[in-house]
Amino acid sequence: MASIAIERPIPTLGQALRQMREAGGSYQGIWSWLTTVDHKRIGVMYGATAMFFFVVGGIEALIIRLQLARPESTLVDADQFNRLFTMHGTTMVFLVIMPLSAAFFNLVIPLMIGARDVAFPRLNAFSYWMFLFGGMLMMASFFTGNPAGSFLEGHLGAPDGGWFGYAPLTLNQFSPGTGIDYWAFGLLILGIASMAGGFNFAVTIINMRAPGMTFFRMPVFVWMTLVTSFLIIFAMPIITVALFQILFDRLFGANFFNVGAGGTPLLWQHMFWLFGHPEVYILILPAMGIISEVLPTFSKKPLFGYPFVVFSGIAIAFMSWGVWAHHMYTTGLGSVANSAFGISTLLIGVPTGIKVFNWLATLWGGSISFKTPLLFAVGFIAMFTIGGLTGVMHSIVPTDYQQQDTYFVVAHFHQVLVGGSLFGLFAGVYYWFPKFSGKFMSEKLGQLHFWTMFAGFNLTFQPMMIVGLMGMIRRTSTYEADLGYGLWNMMSTVGAFLIAFSVFVFLVNVVVSMRSGKQAGDDPWDGRTLEWSMSSPPPVYNFATIPEVKSLDPVWHDKYVENEAGETVPVVAGAANGHKEEGHEEEGHSVHLPSPSIIPLIASIGPPILAAGFIYWDNPWMLPLIPVGAVILLVGVFAWALEPTTE
Amino acid sequence: MKLRKFSTAKVATIAIMVVAAVLVAGCGSLGSDQNTFSPSGEVAQKQLDLFLIVLVPAVIILIGVFGAMLYIFIRFRRREGDGIPKQIEGNNRLEIGWTILPTILLLGLAVPTIMSVIELGGSPDDDALGVRVIAQRWDWAFDYTDPEYLDADGRPLSTKELYIPIDRDIDFDLEALDVIHSFWVPKLAGKQDVMPGRTNRIWFNATETGVFQGQCAEFCGIGHAGMRFTTTALEPAQFDACLAAIAANGEDPLPAECVP
Repeated sequence: MASIAIERPIPTLGQALRQMREAGGSYQGIWSWLTTVDHKRIGVMYGATAMFFFVVGGIEALIIRLQLARPESTLVDADQFNRLFTMHGTTMVFLVIMPLSAAFFNLVIPLMIGARDVAFPRLNAFSYWMFLFGGMLMMASFFTGNPAGSFLEGHLGAPDGGWFGYAPLTLNQFSPGTGIDYWAFGLLILGIASMAGGFNFAVTIINMRAPGMTFFRMPVFVWMTLVTSFLIIFAMPIITVALFQILFDRLFGANFFNVGAGGTPLLWQHMFWLFGHPEVYILILPAMGIISEVLPTFSKKPLFGYPFVVFSGIAIAFMSWGVWAHHMYTTGLGSVANSAFGISTLLIGVPTGIKVFNWLATLWGGSISFKTPLLFAVGFIAMFTIGGLTGVMHSIVPTDYQQQDTYFVVAHFHQVLVGGSLFGLFAGVYYWFPKFSGKFMSEKLGQLHFWTMFAGFNLTFQPMMIVGLMGMIRRTSTYEADLGYGLWNMMSTVGAFLIAFSVFVFLVNVVVSMRSGKQAGDDPWDGRTLEWSMSSPPPVYNFATIPEVKSLDPVWHDKYVENEAGETVPVVAGAANGHKEEGHEEEGHSVHLPSPSIIPLIASIGPPILAAGFIYWDNPWMLPLIPVGAVILLVGVFAWALEPTTE
Repeated sequence: MKLRKFSTAKVATIAIMVVAAVLVAGCGSLGSDQNTFSPSGEVAQKQLDLFLIVLVPAVIILIGVFGAMLYIFIRFRRREGDGIPKQIEGNNRLEIGWTILPTILLLGLAVPTIMSVIELGGSPDDDALGVRVIAQRWDWAFDYTDPEYLDADGRPLSTKELYIPIDRDIDFDLEALDVIHSFWVPKLAGKQDVMPGRTNRIWFNATETGVFQGQCAEFCGIGHAGMRFTTTALEPAQFDACLAAIAANGEDPLPAECVP
């Protein structure tokens, strides 16, 4: 029984290493990435892909901001503008923030719970490939729907219904072309990726924790991942049903939403937001988990009120199912429904507040090092507080009648999703980068990144609150000069470019630090959780000996003890807290690792082909894509089930 | 050490700049035609009052949180030679406190909220003027459903812009012919969606004469930005004269009776 594998326990692993070499562990070429089932590599791929989509979504945002910088601008026309903001929203929610969270689930969760991989490694690879292909399918819509001439002559064929795609605007008669079909099929495929990921991490966390790691010894990030996984498992089927309904209306002439034939537009809104509000917490809870790790580490104190932070996360998740109609106050649900959802929305502020207070109390009395991860974490608290308070304003139903569909709402949710989620995710990047690369990110560039992003963020989104209250509606492709919105919009545009600069600094920092970053040791931040007990970067097999966990923050307790005077002091080297024992590494048994497999990639090629067949199903030349895609998927699934293991 | 001080100063400077910018902005821009901060009707006034009721505690909490953060950053910054701080894991009394106090505050906000939801969701005065609003991409039409306002052919008068008498409730039936729109005159009241396949209702009034901007607030396609209308609020006698003139000669050019 090893206390924690602080020493690098290479010795008895000769056999394991040999096996891994045979299985491709030491091979770094492209094939190794296509076939990998290693959670760390999949995490890196999730992160890199999400950053690519982040740049795409960011460019869309910059075009939107350029168009709105001045009144009555004609940089892009209304049609292109609609497609740009639809893709901006969809991209940032489904292709950036969700997969960035998934990147951290993949990278960190198995290390934090003392596991060698996730429960279903091939399913994990399948999740990634489905995410990649779903995103690519959606992006492909930009290159469709144009007149026969060049792509630049016609309109971009991207979806134009807004990220929440309200029917009946998304029906064929109002949105001809294939944009909405690409959007719906793209989301369906991304939904499969998310569902698979949700089940994978729920099962992993419940079943694969190291001995001694009870639920209440799990780091908060693990807790929030578990909660998020369940939200994904329950939320995704709802949007899936809604997307099938809209596709049936569009492709086969069904009447779910077509008013002329007796359909119900409100049905879409109920379905979408019953998914959509839990989705908001799917976007924010992982970031809350990340900063709940960063704040204790950089203030050298345990998280204040650990059980309360955990339970408030669970409470938020439960309550998120009962607030969806606050997106629909102005649809005419009536006073009773509006009052009920107003109260539930007010009350979800309670667990959210508990988290903020506990984070502040964690910092209180600490010894705070203002490194980049901490800056982003406290930036999260500050900006998320504004986002939360404006959220409370929206729960005051009659004031929301004024604010609904204005830039005030746009400001509010960017406050939560950029100032909240994205800041939290950046904190995570700076925090865990040394663990996975073995090198620090540049602190200088990191500080520049944070301060330009923080300033740019406030310059972009606080003026939006003003123009929103001045009556500027969202999704307007332009506005008249005499409304007085010009100055504020110009400020927002300048701010948006400042954010773009900060992201450029970040990308430079990643590249520079990968090449020539300062060497980080195994435990560069004086960490508290299991991932800091292993080498940086971690070995393929993670833990040679599965550690035994005796407390919350086990690595911290291996390094520090309380002396007779009640002060916390470092453990004297070699004494190791009195419970240092040798691990009982079983001689002759190798570490069992899953074999690499190409089959998840093959299986995931099927669904986008299938989708393309349906999108163009009235074209006899494209129709065969349906059976081709279906066969690839089926063959992939059977090959998956029958694939022999290496032993 | 030097860097850390610099950071704290930066936080303070930026925070103060932002707050100042927001305050200047809020006060400096009240003249706009669509500003929810300068209501011209009872409903919009009530909604602004509620906004201010929640804005005050929100700003106090915000200042409290930001103040606490600044204090923490200065006071608990790591200094050279610092040891390991006391490992405090929590405090149940504090937890109970910051669970119960916000609950009370938030439920307190629910009281005026629900009272005005019910009031605004109720019926307008009995003498309310009936207007049917018809939204179709990307235009508005306003039909005066009371029998005294007829056009030259004896049918209910229909206008492209909205004309209302002041100090009298207007009772709107909202109908959309294609997709979802939203009917909004910011200076008079919050918005109400206009849905195809169902008739939504909203009522409001104007307490002063003037021309107020209105706009479709729900995204409805490429003409969304231009789906605007004006609401002209007139003295009751002038309102009757205005509608009579429109019935006789149409809205273009606008009859002199319709200029407030």
